[in-house]
Amino acid sequence: MYRLAGFTGLKAQIFKISFMSIIDALLIWMFFASMAKEDSSTLSAVIATIFVLTNLVYFAKFTLPLKFLLPGLILLVAFVVVPVVYTIQMSGYQYKTGNEISKTDALPQIEANGLVLDDLAPTFDLVLGKIDGKWAGLLTSQVDQSVLLSTEEKSTVLPAGSFTADEFGVARQADGFEPITEDFAANNEESIINLRFPYKDASFISPQGIDIAAVLTQTLVYDKDADTFTDTLNGIVYKDNGRGNYAAESDPSITLTPGWRAWNTFENYTKLFSDPNVRGPFIGVFIWTVSFAVISVLMMFAVGLLLAVILNQKIALRRFYRSILILPYAIPSFMSILIWAGMFNRQFGAINALFGTQIDFFNSPTLAKMVILIVNLWLGFPYFYLISSGALQSIPSELEEAASIDGANGRQIMGKIKLPLILQILSPLLIASFAFNFNNFNIIYLLTGGGPTNVLEGQTAGATDILITYTYKTAFGSQEQNLGLASAISMVIFFIVGSISLWSLRRSKVLETM
Amino acid sequence: MAKRSLKSAKIGSHIFIWALILFTLFPIYVVITSSFNPTGSLATSSLIPQIWSLDNYKVLFNNPAVPYLTWVKNSVILAVANAFISVFVGTASAFAFSRMRFKGRKLGLQALLLVQVFPSFLALAAIYVMMERVYTVFPAIGLGSLGGLLLIYLGGSMGVNAWLLKGYIDTIPLELDEAARIDGASSFQVFWIIFFPLAAPVLAVTALLSFIGTFNEFVLASLFLQDVHSRTVAVGLQQFVGQQFGQNWGPFAAGSLLAAIPLVILFLSLQRFIIGGLTQGATKG
Repeated sequence: MYRLAGFTGLKAQIFKISFMSIIDALLIWMFFASMAKEDSSTLSAVIATIFVLTNLVYFAKFTLPLKFLLPGLILLVAFVVVPVVYTIQMSGYQYKTGNEISKTDALPQIEANGLVLDDLAPTFDLVLGKIDGKWAGLLTSQVDQSVLLSTEEKSTVLPAGSFTADEFGVARQADGFEPITEDFAANNEESIINLRFPYKDASFISPQGIDIAAVLTQTLVYDKDADTFTDTLNGIVYKDNGRGNYAAESDPSITLTPGWRAWNTFENYTKLFSDPNVRGPFIGVFIWTVSFAVISVLMMFAVGLLLAVILNQKIALRRFYRSILILPYAIPSFMSILIWAGMFNRQFGAINALFGTQIDFFNSPTLAKMVILIVNLWLGFPYFYLISSGALQSIPSELEEAASIDGANGRQIMGKIKLPLILQILSPLLIASFAFNFNNFNIIYLLTGGGPTNVLEGQTAGATDILITYTYKTAFGSQEQNLGLASAISMVIFFIVGSISLWSLRRSKVLETM
Repeated sequence: MAKRSLKSAKIGSHIFIWALILFTLFPIYVVITSSFNPTGSLATSSLIPQIWSLDNYKVLFNNPAVPYLTWVKNSVILAVANAFISVFVGTASAFAFSRMRFKGRKLGLQALLLVQVFPSFLALAAIYVMMERVYTVFPAIGLGSLGGLLLIYLGGSMGVNAWLLKGYIDTIPLELDEAARIDGASSFQVFWIIFFPLAAPVLAVTALLSFIGTFNEFVLASLFLQDVHSRTVAVGLQQFVGQQFGQNWGPFAAGSLLAAIPLVILFLSLQRFIIGGLTQGATKG
């Protein structure tokens, strides 16, 4: 009956082995490619794990369910579970603009920022060259025309007569010193910029171009043992403040840049509730998110249900109405939202053209919120019509007959029998829809962009931002990108949506029938 | 009295329906007329266009700054690949969960349920940083690539698809695979020869929903695809129309209409199945 022979024996074996060889070759190549790069040990480990797991599962005999589960499992773990775990980790870190590199990378940058041009020392005319194949510089002071011959190891003062100077008194040649050509200099700009000729104490002479050099002083000196920076100019000591920055001992608000990403023991979470600059917008956004989701679902449900009740009766043109009214569900929603955004435009929008007005919908918080609700109703009522209609039809007609025999009128049947039943049937979908709208990024981002925002007052959250768009702005905003805080908000959203869904699943008893 | 209220209810119903129809059709009407309106601006003074032209459509195909066809191609590649792979891999997982008994099955199902309610874009900051690192080693599946975005989509759709499909496979009678097993079929053969054909309609619907979902996805795509040639239709059209509704509205309307028509036709012709899938979850709950 079943043509089982089609996929057994040798053929299947050959297919399996050749398929696995391709996968293995790919994974091995990826592993070595990844090993060849720095800082990719995690990635290499992941690839190696996948390699071992795949071969174990598909060549061993005892792992039948895993043979079916593994591909999905790998995708799920790599691209959902790992990001979630990483989000949790990031949410415990100071990780934002100015604190995004590691401490090891930050140290040399702080030191480089501590270099200061020494105003008191002379500027030098510079002739670049080589001594015994190593970089050297013939330096003529612009103050007193004394001449230094420097390599990166040492600088010696040349007595008059031991060098040849041009008509401006700039030393051009000296014993053992071979000047380089301009072409060579142009090709080696990077190493020239990084040359350091010793001067006095912590100061050194550094080329500022190919023919001029100046004295730089290292004003920030790093003490490796104490893990502090000391400013040699004013004696201020900067200590690691444990939150990703070196801060002055006397005044912790003075910090050195750049910082690094550092463990801040979930300060991002406490900030949400204690820091007035974060708490204010967060609470505002939270309230609007919940009201937006609740009002949206209620409106869609009300319109959808009413429509279902009407169209379930035998009225003329029923099918025609139906196919028009489900159109919003069929059109890709990002397009509909953008179209609505254009229609509410103040200057060119069709709405203003229709009523002959010039209303700037997106500049008023109240109007912008109303626009969002209207557009969301347009997008969502067909879905609610479809599910309500399905639920209505699933109610046995005996119930209605029995009720009408008992003398109930149409309104009573609807209100006392059908509506409670529908609510019961649809409650999981209503909750799912709430959860969806709670995170309805597209409608907010594409319609209002979260605005109107009072940027002048330094607001990041706009009047219509919901939590998920606020997260997006926090993580990828144009001014400051705070990945740590964004991850913390993500976790809060996850917690809220997760508990609501879990509660709904408990109620619907799905968990018990698995 | 009763008759009069019945009559007024009927009139009320009709008013309600017609108001809703006007509300539904208004944006569709606007987008159609704007796409043929040569001035390139929003409907402006008159809602009824005086001149009809195809200028806006020409912009889509002739303007190198608007690689519309590339956007469509990217969207279709992503959506088709995601639909096929996620349904195939999801069915395999669902099959194991539905038909096999093994240690950790219940835990796995619960985890799947939890993951299913977690939209992957919630972890967008983490995904961004992660894929940025992958990019330094494998540009083809890192940040900015369609391949990387596809992997994220696949991971994200795994939970939902496996869960949906398991619900369906549960309804296929056990006798079928028992019969096959007596005939000597292996698990893989039961899966491949019996379940796949049987589940084909449901797989098609799941694939279609997956396709539409990918086509509509905006958050991750806009974060991922910065280069104008690697954008999807969603990101491309959004960036194109941007804040300058006045300037690019006409071509935008034309582009939207062209991309929407095949999807709407597909949806309407398969609506019976799609709606069946929608309400199945409801009535079962």
